[in-house]
Amino acid sequence: MNRGFNQLLDAVVRIDVREVAFEAGSKRYSASIGSGVILTADGLVLTNAHVASNRAIELNVTLANQERVSAKLVGWDHWTDLALLRIDMADVKKRSLKFAHADFGDSKKLFPGEVVFAVGTPYGLSRTVTRGIISNNNQYLEDLQGVNGYETGLFNTWLQTDAAINPGNSGGPLVTEDGKVIGISTRGFNGANNLGFAIPSATAQRVVEGLVHDGVITRSFIGVVLGALQDLESFYSLALNTGVLIHSVEPGSPAATAGLRASDILLAVNGAKVVGRFPEEIPDIQNLIASQPVGATLKLTVKRGADTRDYSVVTEKLESRVGEEWALEKWGLSVRKVSRTYAREKQLDDANGVVVIGVQPGFPADVAGLSRGDIIMKINEQPVGSLDVIKAAQSAFDAKPAPTLFEVQRSRRVSLVILKP
Amino acid sequence: MKFSFLLALLAAPFAARAAVDLPTLWAERAKTCVAVEYVTVTETERQPTISMGTVIDANGTIIMQSGAIDPRAATWQLKEFKVYLPGDADGTPAEYLGQDAFTGWHFVRASEKIRAQLKPITAFAAKGGKSPVPALADFAWGVGLRNKDEDFAPYLMQSHVALIQSLPQRTAISQQEVASPGLPVFDRDGVFIGLAQASFGQSFLQFGRNPRPQPVVLINVEESSAVQLADEILPYLNRIPKDVSGRPLAWLGTYGLEPMDREVAKYLKLETQSGAVVSEVLENSPAEKAGLKERDIILALDGKPLPPLKPDRIVVSYLEREVDRRAPGDPLTITVLRGSDRLDLKVTLGEEPKILREADRKYYERLGFTAREFVYGDAIDRHVKIAETTGVVAHFVKGSSPAAVAGLRPDDWIKEIDGTEVKTFADATAKLAEIEKDAMRAEFVLLVSRGAETAVLRVKLK
Repeated sequence: MNRGFNQLLDAVVRIDVREVAFEAGSKRYSASIGSGVILTADGLVLTNAHVASNRAIELNVTLANQERVSAKLVGWDHWTDLALLRIDMADVKKRSLKFAHADFGDSKKLFPGEVVFAVGTPYGLSRTVTRGIISNNNQYLEDLQGVNGYETGLFNTWLQTDAAINPGNSGGPLVTEDGKVIGISTRGFNGANNLGFAIPSATAQRVVEGLVHDGVITRSFIGVVLGALQDLESFYSLALNTGVLIHSVEPGSPAATAGLRASDILLAVNGAKVVGRFPEEIPDIQNLIASQPVGATLKLTVKRGADTRDYSVVTEKLESRVGEEWALEKWGLSVRKVSRTYAREKQLDDANGVVVIGVQPGFPADVAGLSRGDIIMKINEQPVGSLDVIKAAQSAFDAKPAPTLFEVQRSRRVSLVILKP
Repeated sequence: MKFSFLLALLAAPFAARAAVDLPTLWAERAKTCVAVEYVTVTETERQPTISMGTVIDANGTIIMQSGAIDPRAATWQLKEFKVYLPGDADGTPAEYLGQDAFTGWHFVRASEKIRAQLKPITAFAAKGGKSPVPALADFAWGVGLRNKDEDFAPYLMQSHVALIQSLPQRTAISQQEVASPGLPVFDRDGVFIGLAQASFGQSFLQFGRNPRPQPVVLINVEESSAVQLADEILPYLNRIPKDVSGRPLAWLGTYGLEPMDREVAKYLKLETQSGAVVSEVLENSPAEKAGLKERDIILALDGKPLPPLKPDRIVVSYLEREVDRRAPGDPLTITVLRGSDRLDLKVTLGEEPKILREADRKYYERLGFTAREFVYGDAIDRHVKIAETTGVVAHFVKGSSPAAVAGLRPDDWIKEIDGTEVKTFADATAKLAEIEKDAMRAEFVLLVSRGAETAVLRVKLK
């Protein structure tokens, strides 16, 4: 192996994560292991969002020389399943620790059949290299709950490889023979043989820049689900490779407000033609829309029946369906903020309220009859507009325990329940 | 002398009891019991169903429990009604008369041929019109009918009353099963005391390979221990539907009535008062016109407070029954708590909009699905304004048919066919009929909505 490859090996780390979950009416801590790759001399480590997220409370990085240092989350992006950490450089300096860092290669130049290597710490084994080829350099794979319940894969295609990727490989680099990082190993298919998927470096580089700069990736949203047009061109009287199908429009979204409808054909965004004949072409179009500034007015050229006209759509900030979570431990109640997407999906009037995601048997919330899926709309007649409202209600309850009135919505049925001390 | 008088007093009741011969009483009263068989005809299947019924008059009218017929089935799908006498192998054709909304009973009329062999339950009602209310531990017995392969042979069941509850109908619960659901129950003297209902689920633990037992609920569908008392039955035997549709149906127009529990009542300083929270007030409904608002808590009807009933949810059945008991056009004063105000709202009940089983439907054999008219209830389920409704609903999708292969599913809401909006059932059927008969057609396109999603489906016909 050449020098580049050896240097790469010294840049691969194991990541130990302790994270908190709020599901069962209490805060539960768990530990997991993933892989990562050091990108810079000042200690930036790239890994997967399903390895390190905002739920992580403790992150430890094991360097190639087996030394262990702590790290902090710089930012994460579940849509591309990437997260960025920074190693505690003060500690590195104090202990005079050494590590190498890796460089990105160009994932766009990959071809099927090209030899690649996956490096990581599968099942926590120390650094492990597996070899394979690029099986597909442009695979489409979206999963609405892929990253611990969060959406993923809508804005990127994937590299598919037959290099063995096992649990614990997640976040490790997929590299070419010269040690250049062309992807981040992310997932395998359970029960399948040698079907591994990696985020291409072209996507990763963009996300790393954004996370370094802002700590978050901000995307725009208009509320359309796009579909491939393949075989439908004749029905819509379209030339091949023209436009993309608007498969559905989220009720109440900017696109719906602007008058777009499912089965419309989107021809261009701000004058730039879009082509979505095959599923693999869709993430690019999604990305084109997502990369517009939040609040910008987009000019969408749309064909409906025989007519073609422009629609003005004002973008919103893209949000996950999964809202912020918290556990009110004394009540034995775990809740998640109702997100805009969730509210639209459940046909709620607005995004007020918190969803019950778990209760602890025998605790006040359970005794009162609250259960998973209930939406708490009001507490003591006060609308629950944010998690702060319910946190404040619990503090008040702690200070002076008194029966507390909850208004709860359960598949559109409204109940009143009393939480008792 | 004094002594023998006392003896005589004691002996009298014994003498009366001794005269009662249970097998004779049973044989006589088994004539009030029948089995009813009918066939539900769907697009591709014939589903036979058997239920038990009780004869209520000399015209051969029979009542069956509400669960005897699937509420989604249109009345024209219910065919070949037959009545079997106990021990009868062949059965005789009968006529379906419809369902009464208040009691939930389905009414069937036996053919004249067998009426002489039937005996109405009224023949065994208490004399003087006042039905006996059984006391705890009282002996009770009833009739069971075996299955069709045993010619519905009648048999005797006996038990004792263990509990009497309002559900909201007064219901005696016996220690063991006492009759087949839908069949009558009698006291020691053979006086009618009630009608057996669908039985309750009973909890069991199931042990398997897994070291932890699994809790299961079992329901005995052939025998029941829940008996609705005669006073809940006899006064309503005259509610035979005027026609098979069961209309008129009184309508209030609330969605999601939820019981208020005792803790909430206490918190709202309502003490022992029962109540029900209104989740939604339906568009254009009598409730909306009368000014009922969502989140109102209903406390009383016509000045009569809602009774305290257990479990809490029974109060909802009570409310619904109070509406169903009335007719369209009837006034009803509803007392609600709104915030801290108590308001009396005067409602004039309306006629229930077209319900699912009354919706028009059309099956397209070649396409492989049934289009159903979009009715009021569909708009409620999908949370859309009545004025915005359009399209039809896929009521049935035949497995492996072109529609099924394209991904159409039952309950999908079809809004466009071949790129054209279909506003009404007539629009849709005109388009679909055209596609169905055009043998040259290779494909067509549906725009359907499912939950919050809308999708374009291509149905390939070749």
